[in-house]
Amino acid sequence: MIRLERASLRYGDILGLSPTSFELPDGGGITGLLGPNGAGKSSLIQLLSGLLPPSGGEVRIFGETPFRNPAVLARIGLVPEGDRFPAGLRADRWLRMMGRLSGLEGATLDQALRRCLALTGMAERARMPFAAMSKGMRQRIRLAQALLHEPTLLILDEPFNGLDPEARLQLMDLLRGLAQGGTRVLVSSHILGEVAQLTDRILLLFRGRLLAEGSVPEIRELLDRHPVELRVGAESAVAVARWAVEQGELVSLRMEEGGAIVAVRNPRTFLPRLQDAVADGILPLRTLDPLDLNLDAVFQYLTKDHA
Amino acid sequence: MPIYAPSLPPRPSLNEGLPPALVLMRFDLRRVMRLKLGKFFGFLFVGILLILCAQLYFNHLMGSRRELADLKRATEAFLPQGARFQAQLLNGAMLLVLWLQAALVGGGLVARDTLHRIRPLIYAHPVTQADYLGAKLLFAAGLPFLIMTAYVILPWGLSLAIAGAAGPVWPTAPLRLLPAAALIALLMGAVTLGASSLAASPKAGFGWALGIVVGSAALGGVLGGALGDPSWHALGLGTLTKAWPRLLFGLEAEVALAPAIGATLLHIGLWTSIAAMRTRSGEAIL
Repeated sequence: MIRLERASLRYGDILGLSPTSFELPDGGGITGLLGPNGAGKSSLIQLLSGLLPPSGGEVRIFGETPFRNPAVLARIGLVPEGDRFPAGLRADRWLRMMGRLSGLEGATLDQALRRCLALTGMAERARMPFAAMSKGMRQRIRLAQALLHEPTLLILDEPFNGLDPEARLQLMDLLRGLAQGGTRVLVSSHILGEVAQLTDRILLLFRGRLLAEGSVPEIRELLDRHPVELRVGAESAVAVARWAVEQGELVSLRMEEGGAIVAVRNPRTFLPRLQDAVADGILPLRTLDPLDLNLDAVFQYLTKDHA
Repeated sequence: MPIYAPSLPPRPSLNEGLPPALVLMRFDLRRVMRLKLGKFFGFLFVGILLILCAQLYFNHLMGSRRELADLKRATEAFLPQGARFQAQLLNGAMLLVLWLQAALVGGGLVARDTLHRIRPLIYAHPVTQADYLGAKLLFAAGLPFLIMTAYVILPWGLSLAIAGAAGPVWPTAPLRLLPAAALIALLMGAVTLGASSLAASPKAGFGWALGIVVGSAALGGVLGGALGDPSWHALGLGTLTKAWPRLLFGLEAEVALAPAIGATLLHIGLWTSIAAMRTRSGEAIL
């Protein structure tokens, strides 16, 4: 369905996306596009949704170039990040216009509108102006807009931003349902946990480069090779140190007042053992604070790997 | 607010409706008509049109009643019936209000999409830049043209109805007035579109449009004065729009025909090019 062959994107002198190659198969499924801000996610989305031509290489969707290609664009649904409508406008009027731009009209448009509004739970609220809608409701309208023409490829840019946990779960359910129905869903996010909840396939971007591609366990395995720093707060720093030096995963230990900072490999095996030690009363633990388990740190590790 | 499990009926057949340019234009038109601004200008234009029609009828009445002949002679100074009167159908207060309306409505056309970052979403549909720009230009020029057409056709129809071919409005007047209206509308459309594409918000678009109208007049005046050639006054958009009806009726205008043609082409070309540059899909960053 999607094939990139050394596709790159430049904005003048700035490189938005380095030559990138990957392939996504036909059929439904969810792929996560993961990376911190400025990683090149939006650049990649712009290439895939036909907004920009690649500066180099080739982008193929359904076997064709998406840029200025109505045949491809008619099969893609895009949910961009943030609001994309004048605040005073009524949602149903906006949706009708968007449906018409996709070539729907008359009874077909009415039907599509009813279906998408029901699907996103907005059937009762579609006549409200955007200004009176909550962030979650506006997100649902953006999603309804992208689903009107029943796209084969649905691209969502940071769809979970600003949503409350319940709305997040509902959106995830909806995306899973669409993927099961045969739609290929591409979700961009800068939060690893969010994407991991939703999909098994991940494209990892950093500073305009595709760093890793694979399943969540594969990428976790890649990350496990790197030490993770944990601040262990305890009544006795010596007790922490005494217990920690016996662990095979320990890479370094730094004592500080009220505890220690330990760097460990393979936190997935280390942490359950720490839990057991606390439960057995071996370790007088008060606090546990992961210092570099965020995505930025993960990318730093992977970048070092690639350097 | 539950989200229901998706059900995917057969894919709907696409390409049923209007071309994208007309869809976008219709959307903008309906939006403006619903706004208070649209209603305000609607009332204003209807008011001016009614005054014009009343003036026309009064004029006819005085011409056709002998007992009013003296009054008719006395008022000929401000109610002439020759070529100047025909050209006046597209002039004065109406053109001023029309510029204001064009700047207010047209100034926000592209700027609103820029402010709310709507263009990337539009271009992610099967819509080309030509569709987008065509829709905006069609609306920005079409609305003034429609209003001016009413100012030509209604007085003309009224004149024909009350006095036939001998009425105050020449039976052939629309043949000159409508091309003049088309040129004025194109000028207004291109300028406001260019202004709107330079702005980041509708208010700024209005400011840009007014600035261009006032600035072009100042530039024309300065160049005309410095070079000693009144042809440069054609650069002034106000002068240019006032000149076209007079030129097409063979009357003496502030600028001659050749400079008027040149300045009109320059303005339309320049401002549509700027709009085209500023609305490329490359400018529509997500």
